[in-house]
Parts: sequence; structure tokens; C-alpha cells
Amino acid sequence: MTVVFIIKFLEVLQMKKFDIVVIGGSAAGLTAAITARRHYPEKKILLIRKEKLVPIPCGIPYVFGTVGSPQNNLILDTPLEKNNVEIMLDEVTEIDREGRKVMTAGGEEVGYDKLVIATGSLPMMPPIPGFDKKNVFPVYKDVDQLTKMQETVNASKKVVVIGGGFIGVEVSDEINKIKDVQVTICELLPHCLQLAFDSEFCSEAEKVLQERGVNIMANQKVESIVGNSTAAGVKLADGTLLETDMVIVGIGTVANIDLAKKANLRLGPTGSIWVDRTMRTSDEHIFSCGDCAEKFSFFGGKPSKLKLASIASSEARIAGANLYGIKRESVGTIGVFSSAIGDHSFAVAGMQEEFAKQQGYDVIAGMAEGPNRHPGKMPGMANQRVKLVFEKRTKVLIGAQMMGDKAVGELINVASACIQHRMNIDDIACFQMGTHPALTASPVVYQYVNAAESALLAMS
Amino acid sequence: MQKILIIDDDKDFQDALRLVLEDHGFDVISAYDPEEGTEKVQSEKPDLVILDVLMPSNYEGFDVARKIREKLKMKELPILLLTAVHTEKKVPYRFAPHEEYLPVDYFMDKPVEPDVLLEKVNELLNIVE
Repeated sequence: MTVVFIIKFLEVLQMKKFDIVVIGGSAAGLTAAITARRHYPEKKILLIRKEKLVPIPCGIPYVFGTVGSPQNNLILDTPLEKNNVEIMLDEVTEIDREGRKVMTAGGEEVGYDKLVIATGSLPMMPPIPGFDKKNVFPVYKDVDQLTKMQETVNASKKVVVIGGGFIGVEVSDEINKIKDVQVTICELLPHCLQLAFDSEFCSEAEKVLQERGVNIMANQKVESIVGNSTAAGVKLADGTLLETDMVIVGIGTVANIDLAKKANLRLGPTGSIWVDRTMRTSDEHIFSCGDCAEKFSFFGGKPSKLKLASIASSEARIAGANLYGIKRESVGTIGVFSSAIGDHSFAVAGMQEEFAKQQGYDVIAGMAEGPNRHPGKMPGMANQRVKLVFEKRTKVLIGAQMMGDKAVGELINVASACIQHRMNIDDIACFQMGTHPALTASPVVYQYVNAAESALLAMS
Repeated sequence: MQKILIIDDDKDFQDALRLVLEDHGFDVISAYDPEEGTEKVQSEKPDLVILDVLMPSNYEGFDVARKIREKLKMKELPILLLTAVHTEKKVPYRFAPHEEYLPVDYFMDKPVEPDVLLEKVNELLNIVE
């Protein structure tokens, strides 16, 4: 008995101990660690991640074209080093909640006072016949897997992408930039990007993609992936056979909850780690944020499966600040996306008109379109279209969609702020914007406010 | 009494699961392979199906789920996948419910705590405890 006690005592003495331990080194883990440092300058913080190199999640589609390789798309350790966060490259295999310590594959035991789980998500694989052939790739968030995928892309003449959401569209457009590669997107819904945009925006995005040489097979279910040990074709439900040299799957991601489940943490309705609005799990000493954490919609509070690096970072800023006292709460996911296909940018925040109606909202929409410079002869002129969706009775803004030049990537964030603060149609119609001939639309035709005016007209 | 059909080729697991479910008032029927399972879905008319995937080794459970939905047209019958496919196949991706590609209501990895499973079973059967 005495010997056991002494051994245990020595183990505790030898065990590494930190105030705050963060598991995971992508957007959520990194932001949680830095936020914790800002709020708790005196605490000893450790970030444990299994990957030596961590890809920037939103930059993954661009490794196949614009940025050239997975090695050019990495999250740097500099912010962690500058913020005095220690890094351990190892895999946490177990959480001992009672002993408040984590165990790693490398045999380490690390004690914690507060723990943040930011284990992210894994790509979803549709179990259609043939999914396990060796040249079928989900879009991994792993440098080695992405490198292997890029090598296969470079050796291919024909590529089929299953899924026409943001990842599918961006990966397709980037691969399409490689000479002599024919890319075909297979999408279940009538349009690509339909879960994010109303049909008129989807059609514009599809037109741009097709003009750039991408084939689109919309409203098509993939029946099977054919070939021997490697995929040689994709068979669609209507009998069409698309020949291919590889298949890329981009139909979504699933929360990585393995560690949390093993630790008996409560799971939420979508199967992610349950958290309250402060990002605290069912264990008061453990927080979770990012793709692995359960989410709820800003609109109505239903469980949400949205997974975005921007949501992950926002949640991490809440979790990191709340570790030793609650300071922040989540308002739920608004869902703010933007994407670029060539010179054309598309962006959305909140609910689109069709989706809001499906959810039972009585809505009124307004649209405005015009040049983004004044006069239109100014360099950089491009058409900009803005559509705003309001809840009819309260006139509160619940959604915005935009297309135009790169500026819509930031203008959509203005819309998100307006949605988050529940601004109404008159607030936006009287919105005081700054304008400049070389930078923006004229104050008279400013699309964001005129879309609100147009909705007001439709209401009367 | 609500009827649950377990389709799983692991007899020991079936026996353990049966004890838990019967103890909570469910009528439990067993099928030990995909064919028997598909047959019992039609003949026994269960209120819920708990379905394994690797029967015996090659993702047969996915075909059973598709057959129930597409060939048997049983769109409303709740299907809970309960499987160790991720750990046994050591895949770096995940299978998850998908309206067209994996038409089940919920996916659970084995092993599972009995109370967690019961909570989900009750939820799928709209039982309020």
C-alpha cells in the first residue's frame, strides 16, 4: 500500500502540469490558446496537436491551383510562440476527467486545470458502392493526404467531384486551372451552392464556372464509382457514365468526437460535443469549440450542422475568454460565407429567401444592382448585386446575398453585423456609408441601402 | 409494446443489447445477417431498426439501409446505425447520415453506453421519459 502511494506520488511529481491545455492546432485550437493568453496573462498554457504541419482550412482548395502546394498553405507557429503558448506535437488518446490530466500516444501525462477540446472535423464519405477504391479522395485537412491528392490530380486528365457546395466548387475551379484537366461536378440538388444561395445567385455562379470550363451535372445522384481497385468512372442515377482518373468527394464534414466520447462527455443532438452558450461542456473544467462542438442557429435556435473556420474562431474567442469566469456567450451561428470564382465573388450571410420560407418565416426581399465605381468609367468597375431578406412583420434583416468584385467579401461582413444586431429595414435604408469614386458604388446607387429601399417598396 | 429489430452478426453483442432493451420494456427481434434482416423488416414490421455495418466484413449494413429506403420504400422507419466500422477499418474519414447516400436517422459508434443508446432510441421512437 505504502509502495503504491509512493509510486503515485512520484508520478504526480513527474507529470507535466499546465493551467490551460488546448487539444487541436487548427483555427479553433490556435484562437482559443491566443485568446486564453490575452485574458489570463499569468497562466501556463500548452497546445497539443498531432500534426507537425497544419493546413489553413479555408485555403485547402487553393493548394491545387493558386498557392501551388499544401506546403504553401500552412498555419504558422509564430502566433503561439509570440503569445508564450507551449506546443507539444503528440496525439491525446485519453482524458482522465477525475484526475484532470490527458494521456498521449507518446506516453506523456499532462495535468490541466482547464481543458479546451478543439479536435475539429473529419471529411464525410458517402458509402456509395466503390467509395473505397484507392483514387477516391475526400478533401482531407492533412498535409500528407493533400500532397498525395495533389500528385493524383497532376497525373489526371479527368476529375469528377462529388458535391457542388463551396468546397466542391472551389476545388473544381482550382483544378480546372491546370491545363488539360477536365473537371465535372456532380451535385444532388438542382444547383451548385444551393444550400447557401437563392437560385438566381446559384445560376450566376454556375454560368461563371461553365464559362471557365467546368462541367456541371446538377440534380444528379451518384449511383456508384466503377472500376477495379481504382476508380475509372462515376455512374449516375440516370445511367450516365462519367469516365474519370480520380474522384474527389466534398459533401461535408463530421465532428471529430472520438476523444470526447471516450471521456463520456455529453453529446448534442447532431452528435457533436454538447456545449452551453459559454462553450462549456458537460464537465465544468472542459470547454469545446470549433467543428467538434455542437452549434445552434442564430435564427430560431435549432441545432446547426454548419462548420466554418470563422465560426470556429468566434467560438474559440468565447471559450478562451471564459475559462476562469464567464465573460462571453454565443449568439448562435449566422452562417457567413464568401467565395471567388475567377474575378467573380459571391457572398452570403444568414438565411436566403427560399430557405427562410421553408423554415416558416414570412419574408420580404429586395434587390439592387449597379456599378461598384462612380462614374462607371473609373478603373476596376464591375457589376455588384445585393439581395437582402427581411422578416416581414418586424422588418428585421435575416439574410444577405451578394455578387460582384472582391469588395463583396467584406461588404457581407457588414451585413452579418447588421443581422447580428437585428437591424431593421429603415436602419439599413438610412445606413451611413463611406464612398469614393475609385473604391465604391456612388452614394446614390449604393446597392446595400437600395436593396433595403427596394424591399420597402415591395412591402407597400 | 414497441418492437425493435437488431440486425447484427455479433451474437454476444445482440444478447447484451437485447437485455438492456427488454429491461426497458421493448420487444426485441434479432436478425444475424443482411438477408434475414431485410426479410424481418418486412415480416415483423418493427418500430425501429438497430443496424450493424460490417456483416461480416464488407459494409453490408449500408446496402441494407439503402434497400429499406429505396426498394422497400420504408421511408419513415427509424434506422439507427450502431457500428465499429470507423475503428475496425481505421478510416481517416467518417460515415454519417445523408438523405441520399446514407439514408439512416442516426449513426453511433460502438462501444456505446447503455443510457446514451436508450436516450437515442427513445428520441427516435418519440418516447418522452
